[in-house]
Amino acid sequence: MKNSIVILLLILLSALLIFSFDFIPEQEIVVDSTAEHIITKGLQETGSLNLVTAILYDYRAFDSMGESTVIFATVSAIVLLLSFKTLPVSSQGLSFIVKNTFGFLAPFIFLFGLYVITHGHLSPGGGFQGGVILGTISIILSIVYGSAYDYRKYPPKTKTLLETGGALLFLFIGGLGLVLKGHFLANVNPLINEPGRLISAGVIPYINIGIGFKIGAGLAIIFYSMIQKTYVEEELKS
Amino acid sequence: MIFLEYLLIALMVFAALLAVIFEEELISIICLSIFSFALTALYLLYKAPDVALTEAVIGSGLNTAIFMAAISQVRSGRKNHVSREDE
Repeated sequence: MKNSIVILLLILLSALLIFSFDFIPEQEIVVDSTAEHIITKGLQETGSLNLVTAILYDYRAFDSMGESTVIFATVSAIVLLLSFKTLPVSSQGLSFIVKNTFGFLAPFIFLFGLYVITHGHLSPGGGFQGGVILGTISIILSIVYGSAYDYRKYPPKTKTLLETGGALLFLFIGGLGLVLKGHFLANVNPLINEPGRLISAGVIPYINIGIGFKIGAGLAIIFYSMIQKTYVEEELKS
Repeated sequence: MIFLEYLLIALMVFAALLAVIFEEELISIICLSIFSFALTALYLLYKAPDVALTEAVIGSGLNTAIFMAAISQVRSGRKNHVSREDE
């Protein structure tokens, strides 16, 4: 009885949501809109070919700083709750074949992550996506070789230094814009003469590098804090 | 192209239903990964490559690892309620 009432309510709600598309008014074309301005003049004002990156790190860079602050607060809360011990935790890891295969593949994954970060203003991608690819390497190391190897290679102090270094680089570039141009996070000296080169678009590639290292180190810290307690219990049993 | 779009939407609905129906948590996580893969192809069909790259990396890679870590923690806590006070 109760289940049938719930299913009937869900069907009614779905029908209401689907038929509500008919009441949306038609789109009126505005001549002097914001999208029109960015599409026609975005390349001249910022110098980056990828207009999504131009919006994220030049027109609306202050919002990106707010998003990275959200991730920083999340990492701090998870480390506080899950007792961030700096003890190496030993485990077996997977078999011989998987270890050798991943050892062959790891440099190529690292190179692809660096490519996505540094070419954020020429091709699709940017700081967030490349940072997650770099953080995935540490996660696969913990799974394949055991978390003691990951602790020896990249200790938690190194990850914390990388994360705070990325955030401080972002803030330093914002202060540079405040000193040289008069408002916070201004694009200092965009090279509008030659768009399409690797060193162009002013200050956007350096903001991408800072955000990438910050996101990757933060996600690796989250996974290391979540996985360590399980392996301690396996060690106590044996 | 309109046929491919309908096929991807049908695959997304099917994977979401399978993730709800199964009792085993590992099968549900793999079904969510299939859902993210279909959504990535749909974003690429609508010409939004930035959003497609984000969805592929986060939805198919990172969510699977973090969900598996959380579920292993919950299972090991449910088996033995050992209140140890080392250190």
